[in-house]
Amino acid sequence: MDIRLALHAITKHYGHGDNQVAALQNISFSLAEGEFLAVQGPSGSGKSSLLNICGLIDQPSEGQYYLNGQAVEQLSVKQRCDYRRREIGFIFQRHQLLPAMTVYENIAYPLFLNKVKAKQIKQEVTLLLKKIGLDHRCNHLPKQLSGGERQRVGIARALIKRPQLVIADEPSASLDHQHAHASLMLMRELNEQQGASFILASHDAFVVKHCDRNINLLDGSLAGEALGLGIL
Amino acid sequence: MSFFLIAVRNILRNRTRAISTILIIAVGLAALLIGSGFMLSTYDSLQEIAKRVEGHVIVLKDESVPAQGGVDQQLTLPNWQAIQDELWDDDRVLRILPRARFEGLIRHGHNSAAFFGTGVDPKEEFRVYGPFLKTTAVLDPWLSDQDMPDVVLGTQLAETLSATAGDELTLHTLRSDGQSTEVMVRLAGLFHTGTPELDDHTLMVNLSTVSRLLGSEKISQLSIYLEHYEDAAAIKQLLQAKLEGVLVQTWDQRAELYDKVKAQYDRIFGVMGIIILVVVFLAISNTIALAMYQRRDEIATLGALGTPSTRVYANFILEACLIGVVATSLGMLIAYATANAINLASLMMPAPPGRSEGYPIYIYISWPHYLVTSVVLIAIVAFASFIATYNNAKVNIAKALS
Ligand SMILES: Nc1ncnc2c1ncn2[C@@H]1O[C@H](COP(=O)(O)OP(=O)(O)OP(=O)(O)O)[C@@H](O)[C@H]1O
Ligand SMILES: [Mg+2]
Repeated sequence: MDIRLALHAITKHYGHGDNQVAALQNISFSLAEGEFLAVQGPSGSGKSSLLNICGLIDQPSEGQYYLNGQAVEQLSVKQRCDYRRREIGFIFQRHQLLPAMTVYENIAYPLFLNKVKAKQIKQEVTLLLKKIGLDHRCNHLPKQLSGGERQRVGIARALIKRPQLVIADEPSASLDHQHAHASLMLMRELNEQQGASFILASHDAFVVKHCDRNINLLDGSLAGEALGLGIL
Repeated sequence: MSFFLIAVRNILRNRTRAISTILIIAVGLAALLIGSGFMLSTYDSLQEIAKRVEGHVIVLKDESVPAQGGVDQQLTLPNWQAIQDELWDDDRVLRILPRARFEGLIRHGHNSAAFFGTGVDPKEEFRVYGPFLKTTAVLDPWLSDQDMPDVVLGTQLAETLSATAGDELTLHTLRSDGQSTEVMVRLAGLFHTGTPELDDHTLMVNLSTVSRLLGSEKISQLSIYLEHYEDAAAIKQLLQAKLEGVLVQTWDQRAELYDKVKAQYDRIFGVMGIIILVVVFLAISNTIALAMYQRRDEIATLGALGTPSTRVYANFILEACLIGVVATSLGMLIAYATANAINLASLMMPAPPGRSEGYPIYIYISWPHYLVTSVVLIAIVAFASFIATYNNAKVNIAKALS
């Protein structure tokens, strides 16, 4: 199986001088195509920092990051933006739906950005809306939804374009068990059908149990990798 | 997916701010349109005065030929009947008015005053002034040269002389040979121009009264009135080619008041226009910059989803332009309503320098003018929003989302 991404000695600092925070220290791991990885760790341990780097929305202070064998460091701002648009689906810790767009438009937006034909957009969005059980809310604005509903829309927005890499920052935090399970199945479906790789930050033991492998962060360092249940 | 609708929703998310920006731009535009509408109507009426008072084409004696002084300085144009004959057959010409200027002393009983007089063609002269010269207390036949010639006086001059219609007055003047001459005249009426210097000192008599009094067939100028004033340049060219020793001018070359007022108004309204454009520029820059600051995490989300920065710019510029379109439409309506109200109320402007009375404020309403001004304003809005967007669109995605 090919390597989707590889991190070598990644370090992330925030701030300068006395205020400097070391959010990540010397992180190295790799992720295979089609692998489903959970990142665990207490609050403030650096999960979001790590996911932001993996999802190309932040850059490490030190270390190398290879995505599909390409050194990310060498990509221009525009190339990274293109990469995010085409190949990466990002589920944000705080859903980050676009407030002036309806549920339908929020989910359709990534397809629109990738210049998918309107008819196909309509088909795919309608189908996915049914799968997440929000087809009756398609014309509502995010502010009219509950926290869990927003989270589901955020998940749908990340998955709609079938990216090769999905980064999910606590995707089930505001979901009840049933919806957490349904969302996980949706991710698994994409994972199995398309070989998409997943990195999930989660506290949820149920979610972690369904991952192939998990890594533990503690104060920004890796606390020994353990094998999940799925692989081998 | 309608980005138009999304932009509208975004504007409505902060409607207080949008409304205040819209009002600033709308009121600014309305002020600009009303101000320039007033300016344009003033220009027009000043041009109208110049055309009506001086004529569309004016024939004078060429000034490079030295005059002898005295009466000869004023009655300089000989053979004017020949020019008149020349032009009679031209369809473009409506009237040809000879004017002979002379000066002297006018006496009524114990009162006397210096005057500037004009000998005119009584049948045609008073048809050209329109609202710019009002005649009152007119006796018939108008400005006759029979027995005792008629005179019409400026209202103020008549007051100075305590003369009323029907009174007999004496005109004293000097002939070209230096001999003093005088003639008894009958006050046939008054005229009123609204310019004190004129109403104070001027009078008009029949042209033949002047010829007889001064013993000269020459006049001062020939004022030619055309069917369409646009033909003035062509007629001027025609006359200049045919006539020798004369100076031919078009109305705009003698529109001194128009030139002066225009220079002044252009400055005033130019400065006002620039101020309003700057205000609009700042209002929009400010609105967009504020909106982008408040919506950093939205911009970051767009970026995280891989939205090209040009698309992010476009979203905000679209919002600014929508605000601009709504604001300019509102501004045009405000200007239209206000201009109509002012025109209907026939408000008076205070008398400008050099005039004894105010004039009704009239404000032009011209849709092409409105549209062009609005388009300029929207272009400024687009430009301001582009600059504001460009300066604010670079957000650190991870930081904005954390
Ligand atoms: N933009 C930032 N500036 C400064 N410090 C930051 C910034 N973002 C994160 N940090 C710090 O880096 C450390 C790791 O934060 P991070 O958000 O990655 O933790 P996390 O594991 O995702 O926590 P949580 O489970 O609460 O989401 C924390 O100590 C946090 O305070
Ligand atoms: Mg986090």
